[in-house]
Amino acid sequence: MDAPRPRSLDAAVVAFAARLRAEGLEPPAGHALVALRALEAVDVADREETRLALRAVFPSRPEELPIFDRAFDRFWAARPPRMPAVNEVPLPPDRRDPPVARTDGARAEPRVLAGLAPLAETLREWAEGEAAEDDDARLDTAALSDIEVVAEKDFSTFTPDELPAIRRLTRRLARRLAGRLGRRRVAGRRGAVDLRRTLRRNLGKGEVIELAYRRRAPRPPRLVVLCDVSGSMDLYSRFLVQFLHALAGAFAGLEVFTFSTRLTRVTPCLRARSFAQSLAALATVTDWSGGTRIGECIDRFVREWGRRHLGRRTVVIILSDGWDTGDPDLLAGALSAIRRRGSRLVWLNPLLGQPDYAPETRGMAAALPLVHAFLPAHNLASLARLERALRI
Amino acid sequence: MRPEIRKIRDAMEAAHYVTDAPVATAVHLAVTLGRPLLIEGHAGVGKTEVAKVLAAVQQTNLIRLQCYEGLDAAQALYEWNYPKQLLRIKLEEGDGRPVEAREATIFSEPFLLKRPLLQAIAQPGPPPVLLIDEIDRADEAFEAFLLEILSDFQVTIPEVGTIRAARPPHVVLTSNRTRELTDALRRRCLYLWIDFPALDKEVRIIRARLPGVNERLAVEIGRVMQRLRRERLAKLPGVAETLDWAAALAALHADHLDADLVTETLGCVLKDADDVRKVERLLATGGVAALVGTDGDGRP
Repeated sequence: MDAPRPRSLDAAVVAFAARLRAEGLEPPAGHALVALRALEAVDVADREETRLALRAVFPSRPEELPIFDRAFDRFWAARPPRMPAVNEVPLPPDRRDPPVARTDGARAEPRVLAGLAPLAETLREWAEGEAAEDDDARLDTAALSDIEVVAEKDFSTFTPDELPAIRRLTRRLARRLAGRLGRRRVAGRRGAVDLRRTLRRNLGKGEVIELAYRRRAPRPPRLVVLCDVSGSMDLYSRFLVQFLHALAGAFAGLEVFTFSTRLTRVTPCLRARSFAQSLAALATVTDWSGGTRIGECIDRFVREWGRRHLGRRTVVIILSDGWDTGDPDLLAGALSAIRRRGSRLVWLNPLLGQPDYAPETRGMAAALPLVHAFLPAHNLASLARLERALRI
Repeated sequence: MRPEIRKIRDAMEAAHYVTDAPVATAVHLAVTLGRPLLIEGHAGVGKTEVAKVLAAVQQTNLIRLQCYEGLDAAQALYEWNYPKQLLRIKLEEGDGRPVEAREATIFSEPFLLKRPLLQAIAQPGPPPVLLIDEIDRADEAFEAFLLEILSDFQVTIPEVGTIRAARPPHVVLTSNRTRELTDALRRRCLYLWIDFPALDKEVRIIRARLPGVNERLAVEIGRVMQRLRRERLAKLPGVAETLDWAAALAALHADHLDADLVTETLGCVLKDADDVRKVERLLATGGVAALVGTDGDGRP
């Protein structure tokens, strides 16, 4: 610890950090320094100890651990455990070495998007661009005028060059919604006396004259989203899934299911940090672009998940255009069952954004009398207006 | 292995915490580098325990901040003792002291309620261990606030001034991953993922914590737990459940498992009705052998 570090160790650690970055980890720039300090605190002659020390520094989520281990083995395998002579220059990361298969969308994605000719292209760009643009600092770079234009535009009419803007906006919107829903206390006219504000307000008056109140904001609701991913929803569902991914990242009380001909719980898939990873995970469980059996799927939800998720604090959101080949009575029965549990029922229909749309399909007609709110979900502005409908 | 790491490992073992090299190394680095340690893992794998043992090893006290949705600065950092302030104002009514003097009185340290974060910073003497438990339950806003505290270990209270930690506390954060933490927070921390223990470690844990359980029973319990974690259960049992179960079996003077015994005590392990039904079905078809699975991978 006293002797100056061999310079080659510095260089090796910096090169290793670069290698990790190439393999998909995201160690921030300063972390090589932290790693060097960590190595000073362990026995670098002991490879396992070196590994464990760097393992505490570079990865920061469990999915990254296998990637780290592989990279470590490969990077340090070629080196003697004891650090080499002072003037040895570390090898640059081997370019011929194919990067380790990342768990994100790069591979699984084509399957997700197969058969969606023009849209697929734009969505692929979207998913791939995600990794590069994960930094929230860039949120503010979108010009205000862009935001307004993008927010009012129907999801089905987006062009590829508008995708980055919508991606940023979607994420920001979801965060804001989550923040609003999570708020705990608000100033009010009645309720408990807010001692903190009361005292502040009356300082200097000598005694307490004017009381400030606060009331408890309603506890945040639990949200259950049932998202239609059948063929007729293709133009919308992928945007909505993006929205749900961002919402899942910011709001704890969210459960998401997808349905087309079968019901799938996808909450765990949406927990992945990047949208590309989520999309890849979704591809393996969800049958995109199939037919629809809304009634059957919602009935299944009630029977299998109802006990756990339905209650008076729950808002059930159904995202669907209501095109159904199934039995409308089954749908009505399932929706009634949700209502009986005291949950609020919100139906979001992207088609409602079209001026000439009337909810006349059999499924929609059966559902309408049973839902508490029937709202459009065809653009960002409509998603932004959701908050009120979601408050219990 | 560096002697310091060995020392931590031994001290943890002495405190009946069965550990391994990754845990000991991460704890050693967190103490040496003075960085917060973020521990993630499934519920019940002993994340919180690390902080408790660290406090024991460092011979210092543990200050715990349990996070929950809606936790805010007033509950985590400090709050003025309003009832006491009001009383003082009442008592001093009419004594003609100027407003400034009154204000100085009621906004002084005796009227300050120190919450865990301030306690950890203001503590004189050896630095305490600050455990921020289940940070994923707090909102993102609180995380941002926490970042500020964790970077400077100082708090400015407008009426009192700035309180700075003489020596920064050892910080341990735990998360169950019900929500992704922000990158900013992850960046600030060393990271430790505690997985479910392998069979031999789990058996050692049972033996260390419950000396009354014999080797055979401990191995059988361990095997069942390993098997259950491979099932698709709604709630996977952690080490906490293992220990509850082992203690229950010890209390029943069991020295090996049989189907009836498992059925009767399943409630110690599984906390979900569907899971219980599923495992009962397994037991009904294959008996206890279906769970203990002697052919299994990894004997101790």
